[in-house]
Amino acid sequence: MLSHLEKVQLQQRLQTLIADCDEIQAALVVTVDGHLCAMQQRENYPLERLATMGSSLMSLGDTITAELRLGSCKNIIAENEEGIVAFMHVNSALVLVTLTVQKNAMGLLIAHSRRCATELSKTLGT
Amino acid sequence: MKEIKLVFTGSMGAGKTTAISALSEIPVINTDVKASDEVQLRKATTTVALDYGEMTLPDGQKLRLYGTPGQERFSYMWKILMQGALGLIILVDNASPEPLADLDIYLTHFREYIEVSGAVIGVTRMDMAAEPALDAYYAFLQEKQLQLPIFPVDVRRREHVVMMVQALVAMLEFS
Repeated sequence: MLSHLEKVQLQQRLQTLIADCDEIQAALVVTVDGHLCAMQQRENYPLERLATMGSSLMSLGDTITAELRLGSCKNIIAENEEGIVAFMHVNSALVLVTLTVQKNAMGLLIAHSRRCATELSKTLGT
Repeated sequence: MKEIKLVFTGSMGAGKTTAISALSEIPVINTDVKASDEVQLRKATTTVALDYGEMTLPDGQKLRLYGTPGQERFSYMWKILMQGALGLIILVDNASPEPLADLDIYLTHFREYIEVSGAVIGVTRMDMAAEPALDAYYAFLQEKQLQLPIFPVDVRRREHVVMMVQALVAMLEFS
């Protein structure tokens, strides 16, 4: 369970993520069992459902990676006609989900999201 | 019919993962993660995507066994996992605060499927809570205008789970 302070820290870091990267439309942090902890977005996306789906996808990614003995799952990318969604672990309890509607922004999306996840991990611990 | 896809669904903690583990001939693929909510009062982990196992019947038919997450917030997975399923097993935890209300959630959600295909109900943890008794379950189904087999089961015991699966496969063969 996150403390109030930790939730504020999450919220602030997501604000920074969105401010630093114009291509990211939405970012959220969810628990590995599908509860939304913090979110920031430029438009009104249905993020509650995405939070739960993010946990399912991340868990499937972890399961597939373990099955193939490929180490730990770093990212899951859903590349779509109208945008890209990235899922990655913050730590063993939290997942970062980010969204861009720019089809050519995968590099930016992953780089900014990875930096955000790493910093959050340092702030919150593993 | 060489391969049959069966889906285990039901309330959180009813024993879906355990039931599939009891049956499966392969190491069960599961997507259990640490629970962060009230679930952790009951158990440490919860399924967030699916469980998967396999079992071969004496006549050579292969059963592909899928388990759904229990919580309604994962209902999108229920829909995905039901694609191509031939049978449904609903597990209800009799020691939960409202087992019949739990059952109602799954009967309502899967009603359309149940009416055209087959389903059986397994009531678990009756050793922890004797009420509601099976009569109450049958009455509840009657109220819902459904006729489904109901089994009191201990999902840790393979023979109990096999019995449910065999009943379901028999229903499918004669439907």
